[in-house]
Amino acid sequence: MSKSRNTVAKDNATQAIVIADTFEDEFVPISNDVPLCLFRVVNRPLIDYTLEFLSLGGIEETFLFCCNHVAAVKAHIKKSIDEAVGWTLTMKVHIIVSESCWSFGDCLRDLDAKGLLRGDFVLLEPGVISNIQLLPLLKKHSEVFQLDKGAAMTLIYQESSIGHMALCPQDETIIAYNSKNRVLFHKKTQKTKEKRVTFPLEIFIENSSVSVRHNLKDTHIAICSPAVLPLFSDNFDFQTKDDFVKGLLINEDILGSTIYCQILKGSNYGSAISNWRMYQAVSLELNNKWVYPIVPTVKRNRTLPENSALMLQLEKIVIGPNCIIKKGAKVTAGSILGKGVVINEDILITNVLIQSTKSDDILAQPIDKIGEFAYRLRACEDEEDLDLDKLLANKLSRLHIGDDLYEYDGDSDDEFSDSSEELSHTYSPPPDDTKLFFTEVVDSLTRGYEDKLLCDNLILEVNSSRYAYNITLKEVNYNVIKAILTLSQNLPNGTQYFPQLSQLLSYFSPILKNYIKNEAAMADCLQAIEDIAISNTELKDKWVIFLLKYLYEKDFLSEEAILKWFSNVKQDSKLYNQVEPFANWLQEAEEEDSSDDESE
Amino acid sequence: MKQTDDLSDVIKLISDIKHKNIQSSHDVAIRTEKMLDNIISQGKWDSALELMELIKQRIKCFSQSLPDEPTASNIMKHILKVIRTECQSMSKKTGDTHSLHQIVTGDATHELDYSETVSNLKSVLLGYLSEYKEELESSAENIAAQASEHIHSNETILTVGRSRTVERFLKSASKQRMFSVIVVEGAPSYLGHSMASALTKNNIQTTVIPDSAVFAMMSRVNKVIIGTHTVLANGGLRALSGIYVVALAAKHYSIPVMVLSHMYKLTSLYVGSNDHETFNVHASPASVIPYSSGSILNSVNIKNPVFDYVPPELVTLFITHQGGNVPSYIYRLLSEMYHPDDYDM
Repeated sequence: MSKSRNTVAKDNATQAIVIADTFEDEFVPISNDVPLCLFRVVNRPLIDYTLEFLSLGGIEETFLFCCNHVAAVKAHIKKSIDEAVGWTLTMKVHIIVSESCWSFGDCLRDLDAKGLLRGDFVLLEPGVISNIQLLPLLKKHSEVFQLDKGAAMTLIYQESSIGHMALCPQDETIIAYNSKNRVLFHKKTQKTKEKRVTFPLEIFIENSSVSVRHNLKDTHIAICSPAVLPLFSDNFDFQTKDDFVKGLLINEDILGSTIYCQILKGSNYGSAISNWRMYQAVSLELNNKWVYPIVPTVKRNRTLPENSALMLQLEKIVIGPNCIIKKGAKVTAGSILGKGVVINEDILITNVLIQSTKSDDILAQPIDKIGEFAYRLRACEDEEDLDLDKLLANKLSRLHIGDDLYEYDGDSDDEFSDSSEELSHTYSPPPDDTKLFFTEVVDSLTRGYEDKLLCDNLILEVNSSRYAYNITLKEVNYNVIKAILTLSQNLPNGTQYFPQLSQLLSYFSPILKNYIKNEAAMADCLQAIEDIAISNTELKDKWVIFLLKYLYEKDFLSEEAILKWFSNVKQDSKLYNQVEPFANWLQEAEEEDSSDDESE
Repeated sequence: MKQTDDLSDVIKLISDIKHKNIQSSHDVAIRTEKMLDNIISQGKWDSALELMELIKQRIKCFSQSLPDEPTASNIMKHILKVIRTECQSMSKKTGDTHSLHQIVTGDATHELDYSETVSNLKSVLLGYLSEYKEELESSAENIAAQASEHIHSNETILTVGRSRTVERFLKSASKQRMFSVIVVEGAPSYLGHSMASALTKNNIQTTVIPDSAVFAMMSRVNKVIIGTHTVLANGGLRALSGIYVVALAAKHYSIPVMVLSHMYKLTSLYVGSNDHETFNVHASPASVIPYSSGSILNSVNIKNPVFDYVPPELVTLFITHQGGNVPSYIYRLLSEMYHPDDYDM
């Protein structure tokens, strides 16, 4: 069978590229363990929807470009092929691995070097779910190409409207195109945070009719000419598709390439899960059948054994595949049975969660064993239901899903931009320049530390990078501290850790002194420590308190700054528990100080 | 891997249906017949039991992937029944005949041993299949041939949406009689429009009405003639959404409702509850409310059901290629078509 599948890839097979990884840190920390393309969306891995869409859309050969968690993705694709899932018959999937790619642009440059693509192809950004027919779009693109040899890319947009949940503020775009659907102007409004949009006058002078639209949803699908990959290679500063579009529009004359767009209407649907807000929106739309015929699987015609004493309220019971419920057993509302659970005779199951394998959790009590293939799961140890709800609500409330999801109105613009300014480093992905700046700082510092360069020179280097990327002072402070702490991740764990870290810090102390100059800088420094501590368990579990003490003793941080920062740390976090003794000690010291002052 | 290799033919069929390479139920039927022909002539089986197992696997695979497309499963189930009867008749030739008592009670003690190798089973089955294929191909024609028995001169016929069988039926009647047709447009797919244009090309006087006008127009109608997606085991219908309303209006005015159906549309399934999620298919709401409607879509869950359940008491007559049957007789057809052991799968 695999042989016959090989023959599917003819010379003129329609091809698609799927980039599997998002290079932004929106989904951290979950994406540290699970790659984005295996995220479960309404009970199925995201990549399944993407591949099914490509197959139904008429694609015959797909290149899946993976950078992280390659083994997991490969295993998943292999499993799908073994199980002969729908798309495997009509479409061939190649997994391309490159662990050296750090951006969307890198991936495409890598693909260009490999020279796998033969003609026009479909390019998908990470996380696309759609139901559109791709062949007509490809045909349209090649028709356009006949008339305009410079046509490089057709962007696919879906008509939506302002206030729609899936119209993500981070993707908000204004585009202008002429009667031939050629894109003349393209701007992502959110990234620039400007309230005014300036259109160049030429676009109106040079074209007899121009449409300006602000109600379009980017589907993150693009039809590309073969020229796209070389263009990415020639312009190594293109990191994302937006860079590409921007670069092509600005340098239209030099690069000699143009961009077109297609606007989907009716039941054509396309979206990409690019952040948590879109995850929620797409899940909801999948459930509401907007992506028909791609719908969440519903199990039908489940037959139950005769004479079984099931309390049949199936709406409120979830029974996984291959479950066996023996005679006399009762399962009542609110119960969830996992895959392969066996419920023995004469057992009453009420309102519990059961799985077939023993939980790895040490907390699981022997009493939780109900049968050989039935273990009761407790969502949380010895807690009343009420507390559980509260805990869950608390956890969910920290899952930030975009902003003003339901109460969007035009007047709230001001508040909105304020709040996003304040919280920018916590939920919106930092603009790319900042990220580049950060990697550059890490590079300089690593080199400096290894070659024992003078810190003054390093400061010069950092400052020049700062101007190169136009970074604000606030972000410089934050990123420099973050970079220094990032270096500490390479240190050995265990008791050796802190001595090494303090050595590192003392080496960089001139740099610290240079950047941590005032209260605001201290706040940035502490924020950086907090962010690093979340991902670095070694630091979080043991050493954060020592780190703070060290910085306090060396006078980099003042006690007011630390206490102020500490008051904002979430009370139930591990970090809070770690830092609490130190904060208390500071508090007492301060009180003593003040009482000393009074006595004087 | 071995198991999927075995099932590659049915997976190909499923994928073709999903990719819309095959659209009408008639084409599905022909493809299924071809597939069965292949299994019987080239599959690896020695006894009837093994062959039945091969077919059962395919039915399972199919009904899991495409639970809303009953045609293929129905045909495969029908062939299962044929295998059983052929085995029975062959063993009868050699052995003793069943007593009337055994036939009536279906005594299980006399269960046939299907695992025996039967030499000429293959040729008998292939013979039956080619017969069956002819039956499939002539089915629409046979249904159309009965048109003049049901449509009389100067009658007004009402139909909903587009059905190839109904179109053919009306065209055939128009050769002998003068009558007029009212086509309900069938929102949101509006397939009624193409139906109406196809009928006018055959010089049938045709009127298109919106779905909302059904009740008002019903009083002038003489007969309602519709197609269906599936005939359920109780004689009810799973038909295009909008048909339930038409059937209710017809009931109010005591107007006969005739359903044209091929035999392969008859399923052995009952409806658990017709408002249940699993009975229906929900298409994209985009044809009801556009995606660009804005923030209202954030808070509203829009359903766009494809099918309606029409209870058997609203149907007057089923017309198959064998003639007319009343809904209460469906159980009898069912036992002719399928073996009781295969009803549930």
